Amino acid sequence: MKSSIFSTVRAYLYDVYLRFRSIWGSLLTALPYLWGAGELRKEVTEQYPDPISSRTADDLPARSRGLLFNDIQRCTGCKECEKICPVQCIRVDTEAGSDPTKLWVARFDIDFSKCVFCGLCVESCHPQSLMHSRQYEGAVYELKDLVASFGRGYVTAEQRMKWAALRKQAESDEVYL
Amino acid sequence: MSSYPQEASWINLLSSTLGFTPGTQEWVFAAIGLVFIYCVIILPSAAMMSFLDRKLSADFQARVGPNRAGPAGVFQPLADLVKLLQKEAASTDWNWREALWLGVHTMALYSTVAVIPLGSMALLVDTDMSVFLPFWAALVLALGTMLLGFSQASVPGWFGGIRIAAQVLAGAFPSLVAVLCAGIHSGDYRWSAFVGAQAAFPLRWTAFSDPFQFIAFVVFVAGGLVMLAVPPMDAAVSLRDLHGGVSSHLFGRRLSLYRLGRFYGFFLWSVMATVIFLGAWTLPFGLGGVLRTREELWLLQLLETLWLLGKTFLLMLAITSLARVHPRGRIDQVTDFSWKVLSPFSLFALIGSALWTGWGLLR
Amino acid sequence: MLERLRTDLTYWEIGPYHGALPGPMRLKLRIDGEIIVSGELETGFLHRGLEKAMELHPWPATITYADHLDPEAAVFGELALCLAVEEISGLEAPPRAQAIRVLLSELTRISAHLGYIARVGRATGAETLIHYVLRDRERILDLFELLTGARYSLNFVRFGGVAADVTEGFIERVLEVSELMRVRLKEYNDLFTFNHAFLLRAAGMGVIEMGLAFRHGLTGPNARAAGISFDVRKAHPYLGFEALDFEVPLGHGEAGRQGDAHDRFLLRLREIPQSLEILKHVAENVPSGEYACMKIEREFEVPRGEGYGRVESSRGLLACHVVSDSGRFPARIQFRVPTTATLALLPEVIAGLPIADLPVLLASLDLSLAEADR
Repeated sequence: MKSSIFSTVRAYLYDVYLRFRSIWGSLLTALPYLWGAGELRKEVTEQYPDPISSRTADDLPARSRGLLFNDIQRCTGCKECEKICPVQCIRVDTEAGSDPTKLWVARFDIDFSKCVFCGLCVESCHPQSLMHSRQYEGAVYELKDLVASFGRGYVTAEQRMKWAALRKQAESDEVYL
Repeated sequence: MSSYPQEASWINLLSSTLGFTPGTQEWVFAAIGLVFIYCVIILPSAAMMSFLDRKLSADFQARVGPNRAGPAGVFQPLADLVKLLQKEAASTDWNWREALWLGVHTMALYSTVAVIPLGSMALLVDTDMSVFLPFWAALVLALGTMLLGFSQASVPGWFGGIRIAAQVLAGAFPSLVAVLCAGIHSGDYRWSAFVGAQAAFPLRWTAFSDPFQFIAFVVFVAGGLVMLAVPPMDAAVSLRDLHGGVSSHLFGRRLSLYRLGRFYGFFLWSVMATVIFLGAWTLPFGLGGVLRTREELWLLQLLETLWLLGKTFLLMLAITSLARVHPRGRIDQVTDFSWKVLSPFSLFALIGSALWTGWGLLR
Repeated sequence: MLERLRTDLTYWEIGPYHGALPGPMRLKLRIDGEIIVSGELETGFLHRGLEKAMELHPWPATITYADHLDPEAAVFGELALCLAVEEISGLEAPPRAQAIRVLLSELTRISAHLGYIARVGRATGAETLIHYVLRDRERILDLFELLTGARYSLNFVRFGGVAADVTEGFIERVLEVSELMRVRLKEYNDLFTFNHAFLLRAAGMGVIEMGLAFRHGLTGPNARAAGISFDVRKAHPYLGFEALDFEVPLGHGEAGRQGDAHDRFLLRLREIPQSLEILKHVAENVPSGEYACMKIEREFEVPRGEGYGRVESSRGLLACHVVSDSGRFPARIQFRVPTTATLALLPEVIAGLPIADLPVLLASLDLSLAEADR
């Protein structure tokens, strides 16, 4: 189509009209938010440290993966978690204890500065002692404070010998029974 | 300086309140007046507008906005200022060029405090040129900002500087023509003439007196946005864009000075738009005349200023809320808008309002 | 006069870290005034040795690395890896697991597209749009948290199934969110999509021609905007996509030219309703049964062989090539990511653009440097 002066002017005016109409249209979309009209347009900000208006740890869904927690009483020291961890953030040291069915977990350190919260360790934990807590506020002042220790501590040589005797005793008891 | 009526000026009221003798030099009055207006009107306005802007945009965006500093966060601007003031320099070498041009553009800008119309008695300078002085200030502001950008020796600075200059040149022409339109309507370019041509009722405001004046009003406001690089026409100074602009190298005290200057430009322009087009400070219900006959000059001045500032703030809020929902234009699109849309419409409005006023006179 | 006005070429390096860049990358630009004459690209700043790290870990732990391939759309990496491993070891995911995977992948697609819309809004300075979009993406991230326990890096897909069954109320909430998204999409359109100022910036800018897209092997929404009708879900169906009824939108160049920035934006906006359609259909017909064919232990071994898994990620064809030499550790895992092709054609697209358009162009290409550098 050959453009005449009139069509050029008309196109120009239409362009200006579109410009102002789109300004008006944008404003019209956003204006109802000023009055917070309805459920669709309410404020969504979580005022996070405020315990009244923001969600707390109790509001998290059941599966949420917070900081890890190990129930050391149930832990058998099988090191499954240490082996599957994709970032090697779990370190376990064990030794033989008094109970022959489980090991004495001397050291169970989780380095949360490395942890990616993938949950593989929890999945692979057979005695189900390792679990995700609902805790998620892990900020500390020093990097070394990010290491959580759940171990029972290294024992003395004397204690070790005492346990060995106990185990021997238990074994001989079983033989007699 | 001596053009203001000696008896009715609020400066005389102020000086008698402060205990100055009548023999004091005039420049002392003027200096006191400038500092007084700056501290009592412009700084609180900046704080208030920044707070209102943030709260309003938060409402638009389904957020809460500032809410920690004071009740509902009203002291947030103050907290921001204190934080900016105590920032240390990133490097130890003093960029004296930057300081110089920042100083130049700040001084040029605040010299217009002398002409800012804030009420029937707060007219320090009311000559037939006074409406054009802010244009000069905006041009010097742009020059200062441009050289400020050049002095930063960085790509964002260069581009930002050149773009500021391009924008101010593009915006100045249509806004000047829009002022001419209003001048045709009022017959003079004194502030008092602009005020005298309007009344309190909105249909008697210049902007709504005839369709051409309304076009002139829109052109004046939009041209001012382009000239002073106010969002959404802030392609030259936006921090979000890759080129950053002049402010990308400023920090701390310099940044607060720069941003206050930017705000003041916007404020000045909105005050001008209100005075020229939106009925100025004329109080409704004939309140002004009543107070004047009762000689309650302080009260009159106070009410007039508040009325004017209220209208100004509403205008500014309308513009900022528009900027929140609207995408930003590219620099060449902004200047194109000014040259290709605003300028033809301003000329159209000029011819139209001339004919309209001429027709009215002939009748 | 103009012939004698010679502006020298200026060099400008942007990056590796800059707010307007989609990730750490270095752009070496030669600019003539404001026009970019040519640009060179340097990437690799986000190289994490992901593929090598996967070789050093037992099979179940590789999934964790696969979902760090692209943090924004984690499921696609996991899915590609799991499909490849399932091909070698002959595992068959039960129908219920397939349905959960489809739900996850379509939700991820929507959330990644919403992230894209927010980035384009940010580049063009439309602040309100950013907040609306991120608010709605939050709803999808909440869904992820409900199902998997994490909002990002889900680590939920397993070889031969998924890690757990759907939680109570998940399906209902998926339907709820998909209803809500329809309302929101209209809101975005009113607010932004056909806004005059956005059209001015995006229409006709940064055009990718069909030939250029073919030459560089471009896939995904960017290629479909250029007119290439290729979608892995249609071309190589997986997860039972062959049984689902959905359309693959193509770019028509409504506002400018086919394959321009506005077309790419619009195409993603059009893909969201298609994904919602799929979500609705699948969520209403989740088959009952097991969610995994077996529990994957640490000792899981993959027989000797090679497998190739392809998925349509939010950015295009994401494929995973797995080589196993029968053991607990993979021999080699390699990813084919869509962003590499986009990065390769970037220098050809930016030549001739003004630098003011660069942020919008980069946002409109939907680059993921995490994925490209891996």
